[in-house]
Amino acid sequence: MSLSARWVIGTWLALLLACIVVISRTEIRTDLSAFLPSSPTPAQQILVDQLRDGVVSRLILIGIEGGETPALALASKRLARQLRQQQSFATVDNGEDAAFTRDREFLWRNRYLLSPAISAEHFSSAALRAALEDDLQLLGSPAAMLLQRVLPNDPTGELLRLLEQFEGLAKPDSREGVWFSKDGKRALLVAQSRAAGYDLDAQEQALKSIRDAFSNAPAAGNIAAQKLLLSGPALFSVNSRASIKTDAWRFSLIATVLVATLLLALYRSWRVLVLGLLPVASGALAGIAAVSLGFGSVHGITLGFGVTLIGEGVDYAIYLFTQIAPRTTPEKTLDRIWPTLRLGVLTSICGFSAMLLSSFPGLAQLGLFSIAGLIVAVAVTRYVLPILLPSGFTVHATAVLAPAVATVVRRAPRLRLPLILVVALAAAFLIVQRGALWSGDLASLSPIAISDQRLDAQLRRDIGAPDVRHLIVVTAENQDLALEAAEKAAAALQRLSQRGLLEGFESPALYLPSLAVQHARQAALPEPWALRANLQHAQQGLPFRAGLFEPFVRDVTAAKQQPLLNRDNLQGTSLALKLDSLLVKRSNGWAAMLPLRGVADAAALGQEIEQPARKQAVLLDLKRESDQLYRTYRREITHYSLLGAGVIALLLLISLRSARRVFDVMAPLAAAVIVTAGVLVLTGTALSIFHLIGLLLVVAVGSNYALFFDRQTASAQDRERTIVSLVFANVTTVIGFGLLAFSKVPVLNAIGSTVGIGAILSLVFSAILITRAHDTAVSRC
Amino acid sequence: MHRVAGALIIAAFGAALAAAAAAQAAPAATWGIDELMQNLARVKIAKAKFVERKYLSMLNAPLEFSGTLIYTAPGRLEKHTLLPKPESLVLDHDTLTLENKARNQRRTLRLQDYPVIWAFVESIRSTLAGDMQTLTRFYRTSLEGGEDQWRLSLTPAEPKMQSMVSEIRIGGSRNRIRTIEIIETEGNRSVMTITEDES
Repeated sequence: MSLSARWVIGTWLALLLACIVVISRTEIRTDLSAFLPSSPTPAQQILVDQLRDGVVSRLILIGIEGGETPALALASKRLARQLRQQQSFATVDNGEDAAFTRDREFLWRNRYLLSPAISAEHFSSAALRAALEDDLQLLGSPAAMLLQRVLPNDPTGELLRLLEQFEGLAKPDSREGVWFSKDGKRALLVAQSRAAGYDLDAQEQALKSIRDAFSNAPAAGNIAAQKLLLSGPALFSVNSRASIKTDAWRFSLIATVLVATLLLALYRSWRVLVLGLLPVASGALAGIAAVSLGFGSVHGITLGFGVTLIGEGVDYAIYLFTQIAPRTTPEKTLDRIWPTLRLGVLTSICGFSAMLLSSFPGLAQLGLFSIAGLIVAVAVTRYVLPILLPSGFTVHATAVLAPAVATVVRRAPRLRLPLILVVALAAAFLIVQRGALWSGDLASLSPIAISDQRLDAQLRRDIGAPDVRHLIVVTAENQDLALEAAEKAAAALQRLSQRGLLEGFESPALYLPSLAVQHARQAALPEPWALRANLQHAQQGLPFRAGLFEPFVRDVTAAKQQPLLNRDNLQGTSLALKLDSLLVKRSNGWAAMLPLRGVADAAALGQEIEQPARKQAVLLDLKRESDQLYRTYRREITHYSLLGAGVIALLLLISLRSARRVFDVMAPLAAAVIVTAGVLVLTGTALSIFHLIGLLLVVAVGSNYALFFDRQTASAQDRERTIVSLVFANVTTVIGFGLLAFSKVPVLNAIGSTVGIGAILSLVFSAILITRAHDTAVSRC
Repeated sequence: MHRVAGALIIAAFGAALAAAAAAQAAPAATWGIDELMQNLARVKIAKAKFVERKYLSMLNAPLEFSGTLIYTAPGRLEKHTLLPKPESLVLDHDTLTLENKARNQRRTLRLQDYPVIWAFVESIRSTLAGDMQTLTRFYRTSLEGGEDQWRLSLTPAEPKMQSMVSEIRIGGSRNRIRTIEIIETEGNRSVMTITEDES
């Protein structure tokens, strides 16, 4: 081995070692936030944070179905009891009285700090008189039985007021004392894990303990028929991690075995086979390391893309190995094919750059991974492989297959007319369908299986927690100021709801008023002597027994001295869960969220609420926001794709120096893209951004084929070799990508099916469209 | 129609007390609770006036309410209180709506959220509907008297209800209900007297 060869090998090994060191320290993430924008609006940032570690991200929705209502109710109670004993869960709610009793107890004990009605005026004799008259009226209603018990303590009806305040909020139906879906077919539970949403190992453990508790619970009735349904962000993250892991591993493994078998048959040498995988392996390591350095972490989906590199990166070694003619050296072969190979790689990089520029970290990671991987793969092919290749190596299969392939290729141009027809048809079809081409939904980007999304929507409807569309978000430096801001916003909302702009709203300050408000309420409570005097006056002429309301006086007096409430006082109630989901700590302060119901005029509402005086309040329309996000996404990708295509054309023009040749190279690619899109739409696929990326990859991979077809060759044998090597490369690419089409993960599936179809079409179309120009050359040589 | 209307009964949701029924007629061998229920079930619509008096330990004097009752088989019951203040209460399947037009208030409860109120309204509604199955889900029943003068006694089956209500007595004649008396555990009781609506 020469000195320069030693340097090459040494540098390569050092690079690999460095990559491994970087990778060993890399955090692999599988949460969805990588597919949310990296530079979101402040409102979007709140959503992203919530998705990562908010209370919402810790919720697990549980359904039990199959069987009679009583048996399901019993199963729900038993499951809840078991889960409540476990450390993994902060709360487990199934509608049983236990939680409600604690909530009621909390509201009862603190009613004079919590009730919005409290003011000095509220305890005047006139106001008390009106309250007592109302009480008499209520005593005639069926609520009387419940009212009698609390009346001596609470004649002004604060508890009822608080309960009513929460009553407008949707609640699931209840049967046999536990939550059920409207149709009574599913018992419902909601568990909140202690671990944060992004702690996937802990989430996985929590999900497992639910499944275990369910299967171990001695249930009544026909338990075999009972089925456990789980949903929620934790499940999604865990599932998508699992399916990405499984799919990425499974498909990588299958692809590797298939490709390796094929190559072994071609090369008839284990050593060369292993050498052939070196560019890919080095590229994958470099890709992961580059993403890790560039982004600080690597998303699981990015890793899944390693499998795509097998298709693309293995090509380089194939181009080299299969084109080494007998009795020549790898270096000589490289000298011949290197300009074309280099141009092919540059073309691919232009294609992938579109993704690198994306403002969505997930896509940008994929771009960086592919670019770094390809550069390293091609460099290893160029500099490392020739040193390691056994001397005198040649692929006999190339020579054997060459004549047959050459014959097919020579005849291919006859299909030119049908091809043009097919392309025209596909283009026409796409134009006709243009309105319905794109999936209109941000969900099409999410790595969550459709069936899981459906189940989630179903359970959410059941539980009465439909996705909120409008939210007011207020931000402040600390928790208490955020509550004060929420109270101000709530006061404005109250006025607006009287004007009919909305039906109602929820606020964290309902569960925990700001200290200022609590203090003001406490100060408004009358002294016992004053209250007694007012009561006596108010009671005149009413049939209440003397001294009946002494407990009321006692409670008000106690409330006047009680310590003010903070978050800890709510611990153990379901109100704490509510509060935590509406009042969240952020990196730079606190945010309070006020979900709105029945918004009639969002534009007017936004104008009213976002006045300069309340600068910290923002109206967030989640639907609009996510539609906006999706449109940005699509516009961005389309924009960069066109840019990528433009740069590719420019690159080709500079390299090939002939507009005619640029056209020859790009025509089959354009045809392949149009027909691939046509086939996908025809088979009922709504195109997502990932299909668009797939088409970009088709251009990147296909350009290699077109360039090699277009390359001027020295001899007929050389040309035949080239074409055979393209067929081999194509088969490996189709194996690598085509397998992904079987994945359940939408992103892998979309890219797999698109590239699988597109790669074959690129090769075939290149043969049909480009060979004509060189056909005579082939015959001549 | 008047006759039918008069034959029906309605009932109250609130509390109540009332007249007891005399149980003198010797029961015919063929007449029993099943026959009573069948008779009651035949009534499809009924309208009547009521007067309800509530005797509560926390009050010095009884409260008196009066108004009209309308029953539509099998699940709808309306109680329109006219005095002392107008207020209406509508029970339809599993929802209970309270409406106070004077104060522009309207509140809807789902019975399943309030088991005690549910048990309570079923004592009246299930009796009116002749729905023995629902009635026995909430109460143990016993019947005294004969077809012309009967008294149905309901004692709560569930502990929660038992802690609040000790007995509900419904008195009537043939397929009309005349009185509903509710005796609560803490000495409170209410009596509702129902008379045919002459209008």
